[in-house]
Amino acid sequence: MALIPEPVRQQLKDRFDTVLTGPVHVTLYTKPGSSRLILPAGLGCPTCEDARQMAELLRDAAPEKITLEVVDVSRDAARVEIDEVADVPTIAIGSNSETGRVRFQGLPTGTEFPALIDAVERVSRSEHGLSEESVAALAELTDPTEVLVFATPT
Amino acid sequence: MALASPLIRAVCVEANEFPQLSNQFRVRGVPHTVINRKASFVGALPERDFVMAVLEGAGVTMDEPHDEVSGPSTEISA
Repeated sequence: MALIPEPVRQQLKDRFDTVLTGPVHVTLYTKPGSSRLILPAGLGCPTCEDARQMAELLRDAAPEKITLEVVDVSRDAARVEIDEVADVPTIAIGSNSETGRVRFQGLPTGTEFPALIDAVERVSRSEHGLSEESVAALAELTDPTEVLVFATPT
Repeated sequence: MALASPLIRAVCVEANEFPQLSNQFRVRGVPHTVINRKASFVGALPERDFVMAVLEGAGVTMDEPHDEVSGPSTEISA
C-alpha cells in the first residue's frame, strides 16, 4: 500500500520543480525490516517502513536535486554516535556539505508533513526566514545547542 | 533557526511515537520546546521571543532586555 497517493506525489514534483534551487541531502536513520516484527519495547520500529516511503517520496519528487542516504542504525553504530541520532526513524535534512541539522524524529504525518516539505525547500534555497535581528542574536551562541520541538500529527 | 546558526540542531519529535521521551520532558501539550534538555516552554512564541528563549536555554545572556511576554503558554522553566 502506498503511503502517499499519486496525486500528492505529482503535486510535490510540480512544486519542487519550481521551488527548489540547490541540492538537498536527506538522511534516513532506520532499522530496516523491523516494522513487521513484534519485539520488546524499544527494539522494534513500527514506523520505519513508512518513514522509508516518505524519504523516498522526497527524493523521487526531485531526484536531480535531492539525494537520499539510508543509515541502518543496527549496523552502523559509529555513524549514529557521530551524527548524534537519538532514535528511529529519524529523517535529517541538510545540504550536501554537512550532516542534516533539521530533523524529524518519528513519522512526520498530518500537520508535520508540511513542515517536512518546508524544511526541504528552505534548505534547498538556504532561506532561514528569520529577521536580521534574530540572526544577530543567534550569533551570540558559542556552544552546540539542541532544540527539541514536540509535536503531534493533529 | 538551524539554518541561521551552524550551532543549532532542530529536532521535531512526534510526541505520541516516543512516549518515554515525552514523559521525560513532561510534555502535556504541543508544541512543547526543550532547549539543551534543560529549559522548556509550551506554545508557539513570536519569533523574537522564541530566539530569546533558545538563547536563554543555551545559557547566553543578552545585554538588551526583551519584553515580557504575556499569555498562558510562554513560561520558561528550567
